[in-house]
Amino acid sequence: MEIDDNKDNGETEEIISDLVSVDCNLSTGPGSLGPSLSNHLAPDPAGPLVNTTNVMLKAPTNSNPPSDTMAAPVPGAEAAPVPGAEAAPVPGAEAAPVPGAEAAPVPGAEAAPVPVPGAPVPVPRGPLFGAVGATVPGPETQGPQTAPVQMEKETDESSKTECQTNIGGQPEIIPEEPPGENEQDDSGEFVVTMLARGKLQEQGVGVTGGSSPLSAPSEGPSSHRDEDVTAESWRQHRKHVFVLSEAGKPIYSRYGSEEALSSTMGVMMALVSFVQSSDNTIRSVYSDGRTVVFMQKGPLVLVSVSSSRQSEQQLRGELLYVYYQIISMLTQASIARIFKNKKNYDLRRLLAGSEKILDGLLNLVDSDPSFLLAAVHCLPLASSLRDSLSQILQKAITPNLVFSILIANNQLLTIVQEKTVIEDTRLEPADVHLLLNLIGASSAFQAGEIWTPICLPLFNPDCYFYAYISYLDPPECTVCLLLLSTDKEAFYAVADCKRRIEEAMLAQSSLSLIAKARCYSVSQVGVSDLRHFMYKPFDIPDHHKQLTQFTSPEMEAPYSTDEERMRLLDLYRYMHSRIHSTSRPLKLIYHVAEKETMLAWITSKFELYTCFSPLVTKACAINAITKLLRWIKKEEDRLFIRYPPKYSTTPNPSKSSRKSDQQDSIDNGFMSLL
Amino acid sequence: MPEFSKMRKPDVKIVILGDMNVGKTSLLHRYTERKFKDTVSTVGGAFFLKQWGPYNISIWDTAGREQFHGLGSMYCRGAAAVILTYDLTNWHSLAELEERFLSLTDTANHDCIYAIVGNKADLTGNQAQQVAGQDGPTEDQGEGGGVNPPSACPTPPASPVLLSRVTLNKQVSREDAVSLYGRILRYKGMDESNCLPADKMCFETSAKTGYNVDALFETLFDMVLPSILRNRTEREQSPTVDLEDHKETGKRTRARCC
Ligand SMILES: Nc1nc2c(ncn2[C@@H]2O[C@H](COP(=O)(O)OP(=O)(O)OP(=O)(O)O)[C@@H](O)[C@H]2O)c(=O)[nH]1
Ligand SMILES: [Mg+2]
Repeated sequence: MEIDDNKDNGETEEIISDLVSVDCNLSTGPGSLGPSLSNHLAPDPAGPLVNTTNVMLKAPTNSNPPSDTMAAPVPGAEAAPVPGAEAAPVPGAEAAPVPGAEAAPVPGAEAAPVPVPGAPVPVPRGPLFGAVGATVPGPETQGPQTAPVQMEKETDESSKTECQTNIGGQPEIIPEEPPGENEQDDSGEFVVTMLARGKLQEQGVGVTGGSSPLSAPSEGPSSHRDEDVTAESWRQHRKHVFVLSEAGKPIYSRYGSEEALSSTMGVMMALVSFVQSSDNTIRSVYSDGRTVVFMQKGPLVLVSVSSSRQSEQQLRGELLYVYYQIISMLTQASIARIFKNKKNYDLRRLLAGSEKILDGLLNLVDSDPSFLLAAVHCLPLASSLRDSLSQILQKAITPNLVFSILIANNQLLTIVQEKTVIEDTRLEPADVHLLLNLIGASSAFQAGEIWTPICLPLFNPDCYFYAYISYLDPPECTVCLLLLSTDKEAFYAVADCKRRIEEAMLAQSSLSLIAKARCYSVSQVGVSDLRHFMYKPFDIPDHHKQLTQFTSPEMEAPYSTDEERMRLLDLYRYMHSRIHSTSRPLKLIYHVAEKETMLAWITSKFELYTCFSPLVTKACAINAITKLLRWIKKEEDRLFIRYPPKYSTTPNPSKSSRKSDQQDSIDNGFMSLL
Repeated sequence: MPEFSKMRKPDVKIVILGDMNVGKTSLLHRYTERKFKDTVSTVGGAFFLKQWGPYNISIWDTAGREQFHGLGSMYCRGAAAVILTYDLTNWHSLAELEERFLSLTDTANHDCIYAIVGNKADLTGNQAQQVAGQDGPTEDQGEGGGVNPPSACPTPPASPVLLSRVTLNKQVSREDAVSLYGRILRYKGMDESNCLPADKMCFETSAKTGYNVDALFETLFDMVLPSILRNRTEREQSPTVDLEDHKETGKRTRARCC
């Protein structure tokens, strides 16, 4: 490993020389991030977050040096103001025109060209709380080598050390504006100690989750509802999520009953309104081992208390999913109306019974990278089969039908949309995630045909669609058909579409073909050290109406246990937070962890996260990525839903002209919904 | 929509209503799949088609959650029978039938049959540890006819989940159910003497043990036979049948009622 490290450094330095040109090339990068998490999932924090970060950087550094690991390097204290970093010389990656990677074009992009032995090296990092990097004091043997440019070298040991340093660190409150008053610290501490009294889990980024109660999907969804909220085990949960009303009424708690927690929630609300009263908005609190993130959406306040080491931005994105899931059940308009009429309405009245849906969502958020990437994962399928399925859906239509979606084992097979709809907009990944979660949570109904109102918050937060959900292969119930109509009364007509789809699929034996479809193994890529990856192509101008997707192989050994899987996901989350750091976004990160080596790379065309065995050399890894990109290119028709088909819900689509199609759709009432 | 006729057209519609958690889905599972299994709270409504001899009976299992209240009348449209379900151990769930669910049945057929079903009988039977006096829950009542879910309710009681703690006490007596049945007939403006008697229409069941479940569904199927036959004749006369047909009341007989 030592040897590799040295090589890395050597290479890194070499790379720096190409830097400037690469930098220019990719200056469009941030723009191309549009469809990624920052836009769709956390639209609001994007701007102010930068401020927040600054505040965090400035305020506390002087007062408590040991915990400044949280604050990361002060902008001025950058080792080297050299803009930029390195480019990885990936040769001829087809999909990637720019074989390089480079520093963020953001001012703070740092580079530490010369490793200074023994000196604490500020490692580039975003607001990632308590994470690796930063100054590594103490017996850190790797110290000298951690002086990376972008390609930083981090070890789990270092993170542990740092973690311990954090213990007892003062909590910081980071309001949107620079904090004027110190009292905020007091109240912050109050809540934080309340919420986070639990012993700090010493988890390095690379070793998270070992002993913590994972929210693995295997755990029965609502088994946590009766938990004793005063017990140590309750505090030890990796991630709590609370939803409360502006009046401080509990609405949802991931663990324990909302009732038992009403005083805790009251305190949180008190804190939120206290800060609000001084014209600030509370955004996050950092304390020993925990990040507390607050988000207000309309009359709802969402709080995440996490020891997962995710970035604030990521936690915020997750809270937004929770908010959207609530909207999907009640619509934004009706929530606003309810609270306008009655400030202290108990929303649990309407959400009663939906806890499992929210629990399920949070379990998915923790275990399924689709949420992190804000992209959907479709089941790999021969494109001829996918096309024939799409055609079947396209033929079985009825007025007011707007989306037809086929799902197998919770993965998309195909989506077909009504023409008028697709012209204006597209289905957002987040909306698809909410739909998939709803289906997962209601799977007990496998024998029946469900008809339920559902709102797609990103499509339109104020109106309902009516979802028809039915399994096509009882009793196995793996293949699910989801038809969305704008007409509340259309059940029988939509159910009839299902019967036609069923017949057509029977005639083409589609079900048995679907049953053979499998997610692929990374071994098919044929790169020996590659263990896993996630590849998300960005919108290409021509296809900008496409659903954002990503592809990823199955998680295989050594990631076959829930703990190991979670550990890998945590590494991905860490890489993701670095890549998407608002203060210091990176384009390429080569991260040597204890048990694996990670490489993340973002270009204007794609976002890629790879996981290699720990002994891979950087040259090998780069070579592997070239091969991987080539393989993906070759397989892309199978891996992705390409050119999602459209239909028109006029009765006779074949010969009608486009214009009249649209007219009819408007008459069908779709437009009136908007 | 010429294809529409291809659908296995249900001959008649039965709707199951009742507060969340009373066991509507469990009852249907018990009947159709012969077992008691874990359920999740229903979203919207679930449609089942049951083959009953030569007839297709559609059964709607609806969500009891207040969130879906607005849909209830749609599911009830044209129903020939409504199963009003409550939890025998939860007095509040019986009160909800009258307050929240009865008005949904306005869209049902005029001659719709109403059954009142107290479920979870296994929790009240001989096994019940103690049958202590229980007058407590009366104050759960109050707030008249919560027709509009969000706003109309001045004093929101604790959520139904919290109220449905499982006590081993039988909280609802058969008399309560019988008198509710009487009130329903009056609400519908039906003459009690022309209608099916309360003792035939009030059931106590257990989805868990299966007690009385088959009897419930099969009794009802027999009772809706006249509606089935009527729908069939009408369909023969005109190809477009809608289930909302309100004609022909009072043709109901007690034929084949066991
Ligand atoms: N002991 C006992 N428990 C029952 C019985 N029927 C249902 N349950 C339990 O009651 C709970 C709710 O059952 P469901 O069938 O889902 O209730 P539901 O009326 O369909 O509820 P919603 O779909 O939310 O309206 C579950 O935990 C069942 O296991 C019964 O006969 N006896
Ligand atoms: Mg149910």
